[in-house]
Amino acid sequence: MKRTGPVAFGFVIGMLMLVQHFTNDAWITARYANALDWKQVVFGITLILGVISLCLHHWKKIARRGEGWRYSILTIGGLVFMVVAAVVFTPERGPYPWMFENVQAPMQATMFALLAFYVASASYRAFRARSVNAALLLAAGVIVMLGRVPLGEMMGLGSISSWILDFPNLAAKRGVMLGVGLGMTATAIKIITGIERTYLGKGV
Amino acid sequence: MSARDLPPVPAARRPLAVLAGLDRRLIFLVIGVGVALPLLFPLNLPVGVSREATAYYEAIEALAPGDVVILAVDYEPDTMAEMDPMTVATLARLFEKDVRVIALADYAGGTGIAARILRETARERGKAYGTDYIFLGYNPDYSATMLRMGESIRATFPTDHYGTPTAQLPLLANVDDYSRVKLIVSISSSAMAEYWILFAHGKFGEKIIAGNTAIQAVLIYPYFQTGQLAGFLGGLKGAAEYEQLTGRRGSGMRGMDAQSVAHALIVAFIVLGNIGFFVERSRRRDAARRTHVG
Repeated sequence: MKRTGPVAFGFVIGMLMLVQHFTNDAWITARYANALDWKQVVFGITLILGVISLCLHHWKKIARRGEGWRYSILTIGGLVFMVVAAVVFTPERGPYPWMFENVQAPMQATMFALLAFYVASASYRAFRARSVNAALLLAAGVIVMLGRVPLGEMMGLGSISSWILDFPNLAAKRGVMLGVGLGMTATAIKIITGIERTYLGKGV
Repeated sequence: MSARDLPPVPAARRPLAVLAGLDRRLIFLVIGVGVALPLLFPLNLPVGVSREATAYYEAIEALAPGDVVILAVDYEPDTMAEMDPMTVATLARLFEKDVRVIALADYAGGTGIAARILRETARERGKAYGTDYIFLGYNPDYSATMLRMGESIRATFPTDHYGTPTAQLPLLANVDDYSRVKLIVSISSSAMAEYWILFAHGKFGEKIIAGNTAIQAVLIYPYFQTGQLAGFLGGLKGAAEYEQLTGRRGSGMRGMDAQSVAHALIVAFIVLGNIGFFVERSRRRDAARRTHVG
């Protein structure tokens, strides 16, 4: 039952999602809507599990004074503070939006902005024309990088950049997408028919 | 002995080879100054408009007053600098055209951004919440949300972001699924625009346009070529192009000078690194040849 139950459930839901695409039957459409509603509920529960898991991980770290345990206090403190602020003052006023606007948003934006510096440094060190293939990749990268900004457009690289994106890039991307699509279809069929069962976890 | 095993030659005797090993702190400094200066002293470089941005613009221009549009703010604060200009310019244009907007966020972190931009832009344009625009907020699981909205928006979001029952919102009185929605705009920093195409266009035939980060834009070209995506803006350049088309100079156009200089500097560093690399490789080959002959 531990294995058969989930596999049978997966088969029924999988077939429902497949069949509903080809019919307008009211009963099937209603069950399809139920399945979508439940999917959102399950997703919501996974968020709660994630928060519990995060708290347990950091709580254990604080308890045994693991490396960087002070940061764990900050993590749990921030989590509790934001939850309390949202519950007491609502997410639209008080400390919750203030913390989002003035702490979370600038911190996240700063972390992402730092990428520009690391990209510059990494490009400088890694983009070496060691072979013909590497030289071609390098040339394409430089043209697209410049062709996508006004300075490169003034140098006449805009149309070459567009050509690279429209043809070589598109051909490669489309090939990858077709491969991924076929792989997803095969995996979905294997899950629905119970051949693929790794999602059930170990020991099942 | 191979060329790799040869002892290094003093830097003074190989000045060009030094270019292969610049201190990264120097690179950081040059990039920092190169980005900051154009923001302080704008160069006002001319911005060319791509056909993707033109198609995005035309999709919005084709809307009539009173039409309903879904605006999905599908990004979090990390990409605000790149995505906010697109959201602001798009929303401002939609309000100018008296198009009604149903906004939502497919990332929890996007709700604060969407709420702020909606509030500020609506105040500037004198738009009323509930009739001219609404904000549904965040719903767990983007795929189920996109599919379920095609069946019933009110069932997918029983309440809006502020806790008001959606059944009480005048804008949704006659709009409960995609059939009354003329256009979906996804401003996305991830593959979310692709999901809108898969679920809302693929199953319901909805017209989709998107704004993406420059990196993500490369990945959605195939959808634009096939017509599954009606138009898109790629990165800050896309935002600047849309601002150019709508005649409003915003942070997209202001950021273009800095981005141009940053890209040029990165390319310059790549060129310098390669000059150093070739000089060093040539020296090692010469040394190896001499060792072999000797």
